[in-house]
Amino acid sequence: MTHTFRTSLLASELRERPVVGPDTVVLGIETSCDETAASLVMGGNDVLSSVVSSQIDLHAQYGGVVPEIASRAHLETLNPVIARAIVEAGIDESRIEAVAVTIGPGLIGALLVGVSAAKALSVAWNKPLVGVNHLEAHLYAAFIEDPSLELPLVVLLVSGGHTMLVEMVDHGRYRLLGQTVDDAAGEAFDKVARFLGLGYPGGPLIDHEATLGDPTAIRFPRAMLHDGLNFSFSGLKTSVVNHIRQHPDASTADVAASFQQAVVDVLVAKTVRAADQIGARGIVLGGGVSANSQLRTAFQQAGHDAGIRSFLPTMAMCTDNAAMIASAGWYRLRSDGPTSLSAPASPNLRLPLLGAG
Amino acid sequence: MGTTVGGARNGCPQGVVVLILGIETATEQISVAIGGHEGVIGLFEVARGRRHVEMLMPGVEFLCQQTDIEITEIGCIAVDVGPGLFTGMRVGLAAAKALAQALHLPMVGISSLDLLAFPLRYSDRLIAAVIDARRGELFYALYLQVPGGVQRVSELRAARCEDLTADLVARGGEVVCVGDGALRYRDEILDEVRVEFAEQFLSHPSAAPLVTLAHAKALREDWVNPWELQPMYLRKPDAQINWAVRDGGSPAVSRP
Repeated sequence: MTHTFRTSLLASELRERPVVGPDTVVLGIETSCDETAASLVMGGNDVLSSVVSSQIDLHAQYGGVVPEIASRAHLETLNPVIARAIVEAGIDESRIEAVAVTIGPGLIGALLVGVSAAKALSVAWNKPLVGVNHLEAHLYAAFIEDPSLELPLVVLLVSGGHTMLVEMVDHGRYRLLGQTVDDAAGEAFDKVARFLGLGYPGGPLIDHEATLGDPTAIRFPRAMLHDGLNFSFSGLKTSVVNHIRQHPDASTADVAASFQQAVVDVLVAKTVRAADQIGARGIVLGGGVSANSQLRTAFQQAGHDAGIRSFLPTMAMCTDNAAMIASAGWYRLRSDGPTSLSAPASPNLRLPLLGAG
Repeated sequence: MGTTVGGARNGCPQGVVVLILGIETATEQISVAIGGHEGVIGLFEVARGRRHVEMLMPGVEFLCQQTDIEITEIGCIAVDVGPGLFTGMRVGLAAAKALAQALHLPMVGISSLDLLAFPLRYSDRLIAAVIDARRGELFYALYLQVPGGVQRVSELRAARCEDLTADLVARGGEVVCVGDGALRYRDEILDEVRVEFAEQFLSHPSAAPLVTLAHAKALREDWVNPWELQPMYLRKPDAQINWAVRDGGSPAVSRP
């Protein structure tokens, strides 16, 4: 047998660009933070299965996500989660036409587990790889649940790492309307919850505590309420701390309710104003903080009052999941084709914005 | 303790054809090899850049292409299970487990320290396999030559350099040190004990001994399924260490 050194392209580079249609099944993988998730989605919004393994219990005692603990748990859990997603979808794995994976933003060690596994699946099955931006995937969560949404939309993306108002001009085309200049909203919830001794994660705990209190009891500042579309939450956090120092007997429930009301007021007011400014067809909530009950109620009411369609994702779509990764991957594969096997994981990846360099 | 590494020639069935893909990313090097009953067929190694996730699967594809082997012809996935640098090590483990899952293959896991020691099996000295664990620590284990391989005669340890030298002094006799940890702490080791150092090109675990050792295990059907494979960290996550020694102030981050 004669061997020649092959200088031609590798198999993954020679593969023809796949046809992406309504029957195309994409496997999505998500390991950017503390949920290990896999999902099979057909045609961009038909969720065949969505499996999420949460690590919250592993991190709770540390008051936040510990990167090394998260990475170890992803490595241990990812294979069974993928296997279960395939079984629950009820189709043969040979039907999977592409592997989509979160390539950022997120914790680098956590991202690498998912990206490395996704590349290996892509090679083993000889199917294209699609790298997905986690923030973009949150925008697609809405489309999974309501494909009839009309563009342009204003999306309020609120989580522990991000607080931004995004105009979705078209699929893959976004404009940043506003963002936090300091803490993310979810981060403020975590810090205030820690200060109030409520524990971790802060969002659901403050949400629950607030139901027992009076949201008008304390008038916390609404930072930058009438000033553009950016947000600031670090001053609010300081006000909460100062208030408790000055009033050690203040009711925890009243503080939680009043703090939450201040955050929600600003988020909702700016979303509606942004929608008005660009003439949006609808407003959409996304990201982990969109599970907050007060925010959901106020968001829907504000949309109603302004005569604009509002969309709230279900609880399962608020938090990190892989269905939104598979969905965004389907759109990304259709518009841009596959991602190279030599692509890196990008912990600081930003949303691809129109007009940005 | 007393684990034998190697011994492939002793009573293995002949003529059983199983192709093994070996993946190794426990140190700064990435290493991929394909081998089987005819030995190592192909080997791809890069020891600079620390771009494990960028290079690993292109490396696997390249190796398959050059050796004219389809990935579907592989019969077993072998992987270095550490100890090593956590983040890099997990890139190899995640890829190896996913390959085994997708191709429905069994796996063989072998320690990075075993891989360092095995190529030195022709020496009758005590073999100290030492990997740089960063933060002033080393991962190490000690081995002795046995027919066809080496035998581990210590635990796998995460320790400081002075612990290693104290161990070597206590055991006495002639020693050969191998691994990037041995080279990094060369002067500190020589201050305490007289040893030889193996060549620099042997200082990273390689997928060549990995597929060689895995082949022997595969013939004995000494393998595991992808979810049984356990990495060897030998060190707790930082947060757990910190938590044990002090209260408050955690390194945790908010959930994005």
